[in-house]
Amino acid sequence: MRASWVSTTFGVAASAFLAVFFLLPLAVILARSVGDGRALAEVASNPFYWQRLGFTTGQALLSTALTVALGLPGALLFARYAFPGKRLWTAAFTIPFVMPTVVAGIGFLALFGPRGLTGLDLRGTLALVLLAHVFYNYAIVVRMVGGFLEGAAPRLLDAASTLGAGAWRGTLRVSLPLALPALLAASTLVFLFCFTSFGVILILAPSPGLATLEVEIYQLTAHLLELGPAAVLVVTQLVVVGAITLLYTRMQARMAVALPARAETLPRAHGRGRWLLGLNLTVAAGLILTPLLALAVQALEGANGAFPSLDNLAGAARASGVLGFATLGTALRNSLAFATASTVLALVVGFAFAYAVARGRWRVLDQLSLLPLATSPVTLGFGYLLAFPLLVTHPWGIPIAHALIAFPFVARALLPALRGLDPALAAAAATLGAGPGRILRRVELPQLGPALLTAASFAFAVSMGEFGATLLLVRPQYATLPVAIFNRLGRPGPQHYGAALALALVLMLVTGAVMVLLQRRGRSEF
Amino acid sequence: MSLRLNELRKHYGATRAVDGVTLELGARETLALLGPSGCGKSTLLRLVAGLEPPDAGRIVLDDEDITALPPQRRRFGMVFQDYALFPHLNVERNVAFGLVELRWSKPDQHARVAELLELVGLTGLEGRRVQQLSGGQQQRVALARALAPRPEVLLLDEPLSNLDQSLREALKDELRNLLARLPVRAIYVTHDQSEAFAVAGRVAIMRDGRITQVGTREEVLERPRSAWSARFLGHRNLFDAAALAAVPDAPTGDGDPVLLRADMVTLLPPDAPDPAGGGAGAEAAVTDATVRRTRRDGLRWQLELDVPAWSLALAWEGFARELHEPPREGAGLRVRVPRAAWVRLEER
Repeated sequence: MRASWVSTTFGVAASAFLAVFFLLPLAVILARSVGDGRALAEVASNPFYWQRLGFTTGQALLSTALTVALGLPGALLFARYAFPGKRLWTAAFTIPFVMPTVVAGIGFLALFGPRGLTGLDLRGTLALVLLAHVFYNYAIVVRMVGGFLEGAAPRLLDAASTLGAGAWRGTLRVSLPLALPALLAASTLVFLFCFTSFGVILILAPSPGLATLEVEIYQLTAHLLELGPAAVLVVTQLVVVGAITLLYTRMQARMAVALPARAETLPRAHGRGRWLLGLNLTVAAGLILTPLLALAVQALEGANGAFPSLDNLAGAARASGVLGFATLGTALRNSLAFATASTVLALVVGFAFAYAVARGRWRVLDQLSLLPLATSPVTLGFGYLLAFPLLVTHPWGIPIAHALIAFPFVARALLPALRGLDPALAAAAATLGAGPGRILRRVELPQLGPALLTAASFAFAVSMGEFGATLLLVRPQYATLPVAIFNRLGRPGPQHYGAALALALVLMLVTGAVMVLLQRRGRSEF
Repeated sequence: MSLRLNELRKHYGATRAVDGVTLELGARETLALLGPSGCGKSTLLRLVAGLEPPDAGRIVLDDEDITALPPQRRRFGMVFQDYALFPHLNVERNVAFGLVELRWSKPDQHARVAELLELVGLTGLEGRRVQQLSGGQQQRVALARALAPRPEVLLLDEPLSNLDQSLREALKDELRNLLARLPVRAIYVTHDQSEAFAVAGRVAIMRDGRITQVGTREEVLERPRSAWSARFLGHRNLFDAAALAAVPDAPTGDGDPVLLRADMVTLLPPDAPDPAGGGAGAEAAVTDATVRRTRRDGLRWQLELDVPAWSLALAWEGFARELHEPPREGAGLRVRVPRAAWVRLEER
C-alpha cells in the first residue's frame, strides 16, 4: 500500500520525539564518559567497579537460573492441560509483572524484614534479592514459554505417544526442544531485568556489597555527584544490555517462525499430571500472593497489634514535620497526575510510531522500538539531568521519562493490532471516498479500541510504579507514591515503616485496579 | 487375529460423541470410517489410539483387552489430520522418532528410515526440515513415521483433507496400493466417500456417534440401510413408499423409504416402443418423461425429469453419449427403469 501523508507525519513526529528525549540524552552521556578520558581511566583502574560489574552479572545469572527452574515446569504444565480457573491463574501470574518494584519490595520486607511477619530478618541478604527477582520474573517464563507451546504441544505430544513416547519421554523429546527458543528468549529478558535491578536492591539490600551497576550509578549521581564515573558506568551497562537486547530480538524472531499457533482445546489433567499441576499452582500462588498479602496484613495492623486498623493510613495521610515527606494525599495526587500525563504522551507517541511502522515505510523505526527497553530508568533520568538541566526544575521531565519507559510496551501492544487490521477495509473506505485522515478516524481507530486500552493501562501502571528515573528527577513537592514510600523507609522508627506500608497498600490497590482493566483484553507481543 | 471394538462410548457433557460402537477389523484389512463432520469418527479413532479413555466399552486386540493401555504401549501408528510433524526435527528424525523409543540401534534406524522413505517416494529428503516440505510431502512423512515402528494397527485421521484436489486424487490411489501391499490393518477416517471407497475394502458409515452400516463398498452404495445414508452417499431419488402407488413393480409399504438407483435408469428416445411383455411383473418398465431442468457438472449432465404417468420427479446423471440428443428443457423422452433399481430401505 502507498504511504499516506498521515503515516509520514506520524513517522516524523515519533522519530523527532525519540531523537530529542531518548537519543540526545544518551549522546550526552556518551560524550561525557569518553570525552573526559580521566573518568574512563579512573573507572577502568578501580577494582571496585569491576567487582560491581561482576556482582551485577552474577546475581542476574543466578536469578535467571532460579526463575527458569521454578517457571519451566509451570510453563510445560500450563501448555499441556486445561484446568478450572485457568484464566484467573493466568491473570494472577501477571500481577508481579505489573506491580511496582516498591510494592513487591515492601511485600518482602513485610515477610522477611526487620519487622517482618515471619520474624526471620533477611534484609540485606542476597537470598531476599533473589527471591524478589524470582517473584518478578516467574510470570515471564510461564507466559512466554507456556504461551509458545500451548498451540502445538498437545497434538505433538499425542503424536509422540502413538510412537511410543509417554508423558516423560514426550516432554524430553518434544516439549523441551520445542520450547528452547522461547525459553532462551524468556531467560534473556529475565536476565535483562535482573541485571538492571534497582528498586528491589535499594529497598531489600541497601548494603554496598549488594549494589548493582544501576544502584551504583544512582549513588554516584545523587549522593556523590561523581558524574564522570557515573557516565562511564551507564555506558558499560548500555553496552551489555544492548547486546542482550539484540540477542532477545533475534530469539523472538526465531520464535515467530517455528510454530504456527493453533487454537485447540486442551485435555484435563489426570493421574500424575494432576498432582504435578496442583503442586505447581501451590508454589506459584505462594510465591506471588504471599508477599502482597503480607503487605496488606501489616499495613492494616494497628500500633498495639489491633487488626484491622487504619492507624497506618492515617499516619501516612498526616503531614509530617520532616521536610520532603509527601503526605498520602499529595503523593497520590502527584502519582495520578504524572500517570495521566505520561499515559497520554505514551499513547500519542506509541500510536504515531506503530502507525508509521505498520502503514508507512518506517521499518527502521521498528528496530528502535525496543531500545528504550534496553535503557534503564536510572540511565534515562541521568541523561535528562545531563542534557536538560532546566527540565529538572520543572515537573515535566517525569512524565516524559515515564512515557519513554512505557513506550516499548505501548508500541508492542499496538503494533500487532495495527498489523492485524485488514488492509482491504482501508481500501474499501478509500473507494467510498475517505482520505487517509478520515480512514484513520472512521475505520482504523474504532477497531483498535481494545489494543489502545491495553496499551493505556500498561503505560499507566508503568508510570504509577516507576521508581529509578523519578528518584533522580523528582523535587520534593512532586514526590510520587514510590518516592514517598522510599523516603519513609529511609527513616528509623515504626511510624515511618507503618506509613510506608500504608502508602504501598494504596499503590498496590491503584495498580491492581488498572490491571483488571488490562486483563480484560488481549496480550502484547512479548 | 483381529481388533474388536465392543460397545465403546465417549460423552462430552451432554454430547454423545461415541455412542456404543461395535466394530471388528480383520488382519490386513482396511476399514474406512465414513461420516459427516461432527459424527464422532475422529473421537472414535482417538479412543482406539488410546489418546482418550472411553467412558464405557472395551478394545480387544488379538484376545487381549487393551482398553486401559496407554497409547505409547499400544503400538498403533497414527497419521494425524494436520500431520503433527515435529517442527524441531528433520525428515529422517521425524520418521525415526518411534524407532528411538524402541531403542533401535542407529544403523537399524537408518536402514528402516531409508526403506520407508523409498516406500513413500521421498528418498533423498532425509535432511530437510519439515517446514520446507509441500503438503503432499508432509503427508508422506507422516505416513512413513507412523509405519516405521511396524504398528499393529494404522490409524489415519482425514489424512488427505488438507491437500488440494488434484494431489488428493493422486494420493488416494497411492495410499490404496500401499495399504494393500503392507501387512497392516488400517482404520481410515474420512468424510469424503470417494476417498473411503478408493482406499478401503469395507466401509462403516457413522452418524451421531453410532455406526449405522458396515459393508463392502457395493453393499453400502447399492443397498444403503437408511434414507440418511443414501442421501449422504449422494443418492438423490428417495421416495416415500406411499407416493409410489402409480409405479408398477415399486415396493409398497407403509411409509418405508424407497430408493431408486439412478445408475440403473436408462434414457430412451421419445419414440422408443414399449418393451415386449411389458406391464406388471416385467423385468423393466418404460414410460414417458419430460426434461424439467438441465445442468452440467463438468462433463456430466444432470437432468431433472418429470414422469407424469407415475406422478414422480426423478434425478438422472450421465454422459452425453447416454443421451440421444442434447437435452433441452421441456423436451420429451422415455425412461427405462429396471425392477431391480427400486430398493426398499430399512429406516429413514
